[in-house]
Amino acid sequence: MSVDKQSIECTNDKEIIVIKDMNKWYGNFHVLKDINLTVKKGERIVVCGPSGSGKSTMIRCINRLEEFQRGSLVVNDVEMIEDVKNIEAIRREVGMVFQHFNLFPHLTILENLTLGPIWVQKRPKEEAEAIAMKYLERVQIPDQALKYPGQLSGGQQQRVAIARSLCMSPQIMLFDEPTSALDPEMIKEVLDVMVELADEGMTMICVTHEMGFAKKVADRVIFMDAGEIVEENEPNEFFNNPQMDRTQLFLSQILEH
Amino acid sequence: MQAREFKALPDQPAPLSTTGPIAWVKDNLFSSVFNIAVTVIITSALISILPGVLDWLIFSANWSGTSQADCVKDGACWVFIQAWSQQIFYGSYPDGEIWRVNLSLMLLAGVIALSFTLPARLRNKIAVPAYLLLPFVCLLFLDGSNIGLTPVSTDLWGGFSLNVLIAAASIIIAFPFGFLWALGRQSDMPFARSVSVTCIEFFRGTPILALFFMGSVMLPLFFPSDVTVDKLLRVWIILVLFMSSYMAEVFRSGFQAIPQGQYEAANSIGLGYWQKTLLIIFPQVIKIAMPNILATFVMVFKNTVFLLVIAVPEMLQVIMSALSNSNWLGGHAVEGYLFVGFIFWICCFSMSLLATSIEKKLDTSHQN
Repeated sequence: MSVDKQSIECTNDKEIIVIKDMNKWYGNFHVLKDINLTVKKGERIVVCGPSGSGKSTMIRCINRLEEFQRGSLVVNDVEMIEDVKNIEAIRREVGMVFQHFNLFPHLTILENLTLGPIWVQKRPKEEAEAIAMKYLERVQIPDQALKYPGQLSGGQQQRVAIARSLCMSPQIMLFDEPTSALDPEMIKEVLDVMVELADEGMTMICVTHEMGFAKKVADRVIFMDAGEIVEENEPNEFFNNPQMDRTQLFLSQILEH
Repeated sequence: MQAREFKALPDQPAPLSTTGPIAWVKDNLFSSVFNIAVTVIITSALISILPGVLDWLIFSANWSGTSQADCVKDGACWVFIQAWSQQIFYGSYPDGEIWRVNLSLMLLAGVIALSFTLPARLRNKIAVPAYLLLPFVCLLFLDGSNIGLTPVSTDLWGGFSLNVLIAAASIIIAFPFGFLWALGRQSDMPFARSVSVTCIEFFRGTPILALFFMGSVMLPLFFPSDVTVDKLLRVWIILVLFMSSYMAEVFRSGFQAIPQGQYEAANSIGLGYWQKTLLIIFPQVIKIAMPNILATFVMVFKNTVFLLVIAVPEMLQVIMSALSNSNWLGGHAVEGYLFVGFIFWICCFSMSLLATSIEKKLDTSHQN
């Protein structure tokens, strides 16, 4: 099947991710149950929930790091099907930032950043390096370009990881607990970059427990438990007036301290 | 309230008693009663044995001469090695053509040096093709018939140069083969996986001697009588397959040490299967597997002496026929075998040093 592109006008109301009745099993374990989620272009969504609730699995399904067994997913008008072309088309539009950074340890920071532009987008090396330096400056570590990931602090590595994704000029950014592996003092420098990105209108889905970040930038907060979306609301309502008892319990647990 | 300024304490040097040579001696040689006893015993054993050994090896040894009659002193008869040196290194390769063997060895050394001196950018583009071409270029020169030189039959190739060249040629070809088998073994495609597993398990589970016999005695029985495949070529193929199976398992252990996150990160920036494998996974696998890759190299290099069982005149075979030569029946076995051992040790030790330097080069975790 070829890449299915419809001619939808590119407005701010464009639905860029449409998930319908997504179900996923690990063997017999039902991890995702009837997930329905629509994300519009430019929307910032924060996903929270206890561990094992399926929040990471859900966003990993969006760029096919995980397969789902039932339901449908359309990203930027391309349907996710068992076809390498479609999968690669979707992955080109979706950037992802991981909990453990996952930088390539054998390459310098600059090489980490230029890899995608050179090999996937087939840009000339000079152009790729110019792009890389532009984004390194945006995350404020251009002076580290020639070092290796092992020489950088966790916060710096995560900012490099964000810059690496941005180099591919994605339409959507996925963040999978980007600050969970960081020292408290480094969380802020990463969140600052993410806030800046959100202010520029990037479509973002962010799995995080940083409730301050959620309040500040999210258009919608999604709470998941046991593989389901339990509650979904704009942040003010979500934090001040949660509708479900499970959400109330969760919020009382994490906001207590 | 005004906060007080926090000042970190300056670093101080470690106490002298914990660094330096005296501390080393104390820690490593005289740290406990048991350690002191072992140090004393080993030192006294060395003192009592070493003079005799050195005397036999060097001081009372016979260094010059041309025949057995020149070995008059008590020590080792190195004249034996000297007299047979050309055979030991070049086998029966014709005198006038020995430059072709030397050229092949120099090409090998040149390519190895090239891969160490080239800047990283050019290394993949130049050194890799150079390695892969090397066995075939050497083959052209050594055989000679296709490039207008005097043809030299493979029966005449021999000596230590043969050990080196056939081991190098096997290693070079087995490297990509082993990598492909390792990829196949962890592939999702049932066909690729079953072929790889079968090959790996067959060649890894069969002794190399059995494979050599099979190659030299049995294989020709399956060919039509008018087709002859050169014996050395058969041996080469067997060594390549044998080594590929070991390399595949070495690579597999490397693959398993790569965190899943590396694959995910490569996928998420949209790299295809081969880009991901060659740009992200392969360089890291090489680094992790380096000590085992070296161990496999050394193993194959040493295994080349087994070629003597199918009468390929490699180094040990030459020594053994020299020992039974009627002019040299004076019992020079110790000298001969010591020499073989020494040469192999030198080579394997240099490979070990080489591998250590490669490991250092590849280590980017703490580079400053």
